[in-house]
Amino acid sequence: MSAATTTGSVSPLAQFWRDFRRNKVAVVALTVVVLIVFVAVFAPFIVPQDPYDLKSLVLRDARRPPGYVGRDGMLHLLGTDSQGRDLLSAIVYGLRISLQMGLMAGAIAFTIGAVVGCTAAYVRGRIEALIMRIVDIQLSFPAILLAFVVAALLGQGKQQLILALVFAQYAYFVRTAHGAAAAERQKDYVQAALSVPMGGWFVITRHILPNALPPLIVVATVQVASAISLEATLSFLGVGLPATEPSLGMLISNGFQYLMSGRYWIAIYPGVALIILIMAINLVGDQIRDQLNPRLRK
Amino acid sequence: MASFIIRRLAQALVVLLVMSVLVFAGVYVIGNPVDVLISPDATQAIRQQVIEQYGLDLPVWQQYLQFLQRLLTGDLGRSFVFNMPVGTLIAQKLPATLELTLIAVFFASGIGIPLGVYAGYRPDSKTSRLIMAASILGFSVPTFWIGLMLIMVFAVQLGILPAGGRGATRELIGVPFSFLTLDGWSHLILPALNLSLFKMSMICRLAASGTREVMLTDTIKFARAAGIPERTILRRHVLKLISIPLVTVFGLELGSTLAFALVTETIFSWPGLGKLIVDSITSLDRPVMVAYLMLVSALFVVINLCVDLAYALLDPRLRHGKN
Amino acid sequence: MTDLLEVRDLRTWFHTDRGIVKSVEGISFSLRRGEIMGLVGESGSGKSITGFSLIGLIDRPGRIEAGSSIRFGGRELVGLDERELRGIRGKDISMVFQDPMMTLNPVLKIIDQIGMAIRAHEQVSDAEIRRRAVEALDRVRIVEPERKVDQYPHEFSGGMRQRVAIAIALLHRPRLVIADEPTTALDVSVQAEILKVVKSLVAEMGTSLIWISHDLATVSSIADKITVMRRGEIVEAGPVRKVLDAPRHPYTQALLDALPSRSQPGELLASGATEAAGRLDPSKLSGTAVGAPADPQFIQIRHIDKLFQRPAGLLRRLGMQLGLASEPARVHAVKSASLSIARGEILGLVGESGSGKSTLGRILCGIIAPSAGTVSVGGEPVMQGERKRGTKVQMIFQDPFASLDPRRTIFQSVAEGPIVHGLCTKAEARAYVERWLRAVAFDPALANRYPHQFSGGQRQRIAIARALAMQPEVIVCDEPVASLDVSIQAQVINLLMELRRHLNLTLLFISHDLSVVHHLCDRVVVMRHGEIVETGSASEIFHAPKQPYTRMLLDAIPRLAS
Repeated sequence: MSAATTTGSVSPLAQFWRDFRRNKVAVVALTVVVLIVFVAVFAPFIVPQDPYDLKSLVLRDARRPPGYVGRDGMLHLLGTDSQGRDLLSAIVYGLRISLQMGLMAGAIAFTIGAVVGCTAAYVRGRIEALIMRIVDIQLSFPAILLAFVVAALLGQGKQQLILALVFAQYAYFVRTAHGAAAAERQKDYVQAALSVPMGGWFVITRHILPNALPPLIVVATVQVASAISLEATLSFLGVGLPATEPSLGMLISNGFQYLMSGRYWIAIYPGVALIILIMAINLVGDQIRDQLNPRLRK
Repeated sequence: MASFIIRRLAQALVVLLVMSVLVFAGVYVIGNPVDVLISPDATQAIRQQVIEQYGLDLPVWQQYLQFLQRLLTGDLGRSFVFNMPVGTLIAQKLPATLELTLIAVFFASGIGIPLGVYAGYRPDSKTSRLIMAASILGFSVPTFWIGLMLIMVFAVQLGILPAGGRGATRELIGVPFSFLTLDGWSHLILPALNLSLFKMSMICRLAASGTREVMLTDTIKFARAAGIPERTILRRHVLKLISIPLVTVFGLELGSTLAFALVTETIFSWPGLGKLIVDSITSLDRPVMVAYLMLVSALFVVINLCVDLAYALLDPRLRHGKN
Repeated sequence: MTDLLEVRDLRTWFHTDRGIVKSVEGISFSLRRGEIMGLVGESGSGKSITGFSLIGLIDRPGRIEAGSSIRFGGRELVGLDERELRGIRGKDISMVFQDPMMTLNPVLKIIDQIGMAIRAHEQVSDAEIRRRAVEALDRVRIVEPERKVDQYPHEFSGGMRQRVAIAIALLHRPRLVIADEPTTALDVSVQAEILKVVKSLVAEMGTSLIWISHDLATVSSIADKITVMRRGEIVEAGPVRKVLDAPRHPYTQALLDALPSRSQPGELLASGATEAAGRLDPSKLSGTAVGAPADPQFIQIRHIDKLFQRPAGLLRRLGMQLGLASEPARVHAVKSASLSIARGEILGLVGESGSGKSTLGRILCGIIAPSAGTVSVGGEPVMQGERKRGTKVQMIFQDPFASLDPRRTIFQSVAEGPIVHGLCTKAEARAYVERWLRAVAFDPALANRYPHQFSGGQRQRIAIARALAMQPEVIVCDEPVASLDVSIQAQVINLLMELRRHLNLTLLFISHDLSVVHHLCDRVVVMRHGEIVETGSASEIFHAPKQPYTRMLLDAIPRLAS
């Protein structure tokens, strides 16, 4: 009774945003994500020191506690790391790399998943069975193991790492896209389009894919968060990024050595930054998931 | 039911075969197989001898068959680093990892499931919101970092628990275990907790969403309309209904925990398989890598098989032979 | 006072994030011992919420507002705590739900579910549970109850499950049973049996019954009195005879008038919704069928077979060769079906669930390829291999909530087909779509909105416009009115009749509802288990059926008591 009385055209997306705004925690989380993305993108203009610029590093300033004022008069708000880098700057650049890895890997895995999953659900039959069998087998192997082995075999480097992350995660996207698309495939509006008849590619791109997107987006948030965590883990284990690309995982790994001697900040602050980022993404994803679950709607 | 088991067993065999092809391709074909079998500093004569012995001059498919044959006879090669047969090496390390993994998974499900069921049963209560918030934090924090924090707090600051190692062990059927001694437990508790936190959050969330969905079904409404007490509904209806997805999760998490152990073992210097594989990758000890991958594949296949069987036992619809 | 139940000023509101929804707004009624009340209303009338309010099973954010009163056997139920309510539920008041597939727990044996319901109110031994479970199943006329109690729900058909649910509801010989649309999800023949069982049991036990339904006919066949609800309020209440013969409220009158069984076949139904929607505008409509010559063999369906079978995987085929595995289960949905439809005819295709009528309709439309046989329209085959040829046949689906893409506007949904097939250019699309929306009495000004902003009836008209915009000669209608309220149903039926007249359309009308088919169709085909059982003109089938199955279906139609 309420539907017909709403005035004007309300797109499903606009409606979605209205509902999203009701959850204050999720809005805060979204703000944090946007803020971190902003800071990461404009890192060179924001941070006090370029951590890649070896000339600006003063080794005598290494491993200083938070609040230390360096010889050149620079305030190190979060202290310095083992090479005398300003930790805050290093963290911002680390976030930049983490986001880059997570988003790149997520975007590639998302694309593969959406295309393969929707196509499998559309064509059905043998091809679908084969694709899903491969995906199921791969899913029975934990992402961390796959990523670790692939990263170890490929060696260090950004591209190699992204490849490893994609390999570890694409199967989740395929399965989700397939599940959602197979459900949409059964629905009458797809049958209606087929009865017109519309071409297969048209039906996949205009009808099935857009409607299979919401669950994929939920998976994407979780997977991007987990890719960031995986990247840090791999770098921590020494099979991720090379030392020339100091990611958060590597900062923490370096700090690990000094933990025992009470120089806690080198390992803690990068970790805190990492957690804030991952948690914010997860909170946003969580709210989207709740909103998309029709059975939980009030 | 019988045909179901046969089908699953056949599938498991196929998966193992496929894995052996992948591992063979990944390690022998992409890398130089000679490097896999012979330590880099071997003499040319030994090199030649091994190439002939392992038939590396033969066509690829014959090499694969030989690889398969060696796998089946348990000949996994020798580790360069430890200079001992890989089979023996793995047999030494496996119990430590299994012990750690199992205890972590029991922690995770023993705490995660009750919390999750509660949070799903009363989704609007304060406690539930707290549980759900904690669980989001739990699976957002990277395992390796929380491990560092545990060490910092309990080993460095408070100094009440050791930072690494396995502690005193006692033998059970000829295998040393830590959980049989008090000192062993003091070494076990931090890594087990570390390993289980992520899984605990995961299981808790799955149990919560499962319970929440079940609570909204007509089955539960009908049970309430019949005046059945809430405790009975929870115990007999809800737990039985969510046990099916939970068993799947338990199985998958067991496998995944096994894999995650490599992070925890590295941090806590736990002398298990995970530590072994990380070390062997950094030192390019390829025979160990191959053996580890095959072993882990086999373990996962077995776990999945068990999950499928448990599934069939729990769900009468499957038990009676419907798809 | 002999009233068992006395409801005074019951208000049940839902306090949602988007505001208060007053589902039940101040209703009062009473019920005597042994009396059967039919609670009738369309969707959103609050009839089900009323039922759940009576046993205190309103989920948050809903609640019974202060000032409401439900007196049951002299005891006030509003304000009782959960423990006291639990003591009443199942013992004094019990409930039967709509969908029997969802109410029983799939992983518990029937005996365990009955046992739990017994032990909810009594301490009894296991042997006693078994005895009473068998007795309970026997009471609802389930054969071999001794064996059946040890089975799981999935081993029962829908009708059998509903009997089990009724058996559970009657375990403690409650004084009041609330049945919420208990036969809506079932086939007519099964519905008739359930009605019979419930009627006799209620009479035997002296139980009072509230039968909630959208269907006046079913209600009139079981109830002593009828209460009509609309938008949370009671608009009319009284003895069945009086309400049906001399309704006082215009809404009740409109409900009755909208029933196809109350008017002459082929006549337009009286429908307030039709008038409210405005006149349809058939001028300026073109259709390829207009003025086409008569052709009794226009559509020819010849020896159609359809097998559904999952493809066997590699392993399974290997297993089959070795004799270890069996072939994947298959469903023979349509068996050697042949029929012809004349141009301009409305052919009704009736049958119960699983009869294959929907599959046959989809084969005619070219969505599903038949395993064997041919379909041709005007002499040309509908399909070429797995692909559909041409746009002559279009389709309308059952669920208006699923048949429109939720992410596309009404305009986009209607326009995409004609643009792709060159019936109009992108530039002309606006005007083209508007013309067809007008034809179904839908305001074209709303074309930029999304489906979720419209009601079921509106959406069904949009779906019809979408089919018409392809300028088809044949439309396959798959249960197009089954999920609509009676008044909306009348509107859509009227629309289809008018359009047929103006555009010389040929319709295949698939339905399980024989009274709708009787009203609308020229000829009728009856299907059962994938086979065509009987074919004949509507008057032959409805007045002189030849097959016993057809006769059984006709006898099972609930009719308004007259």
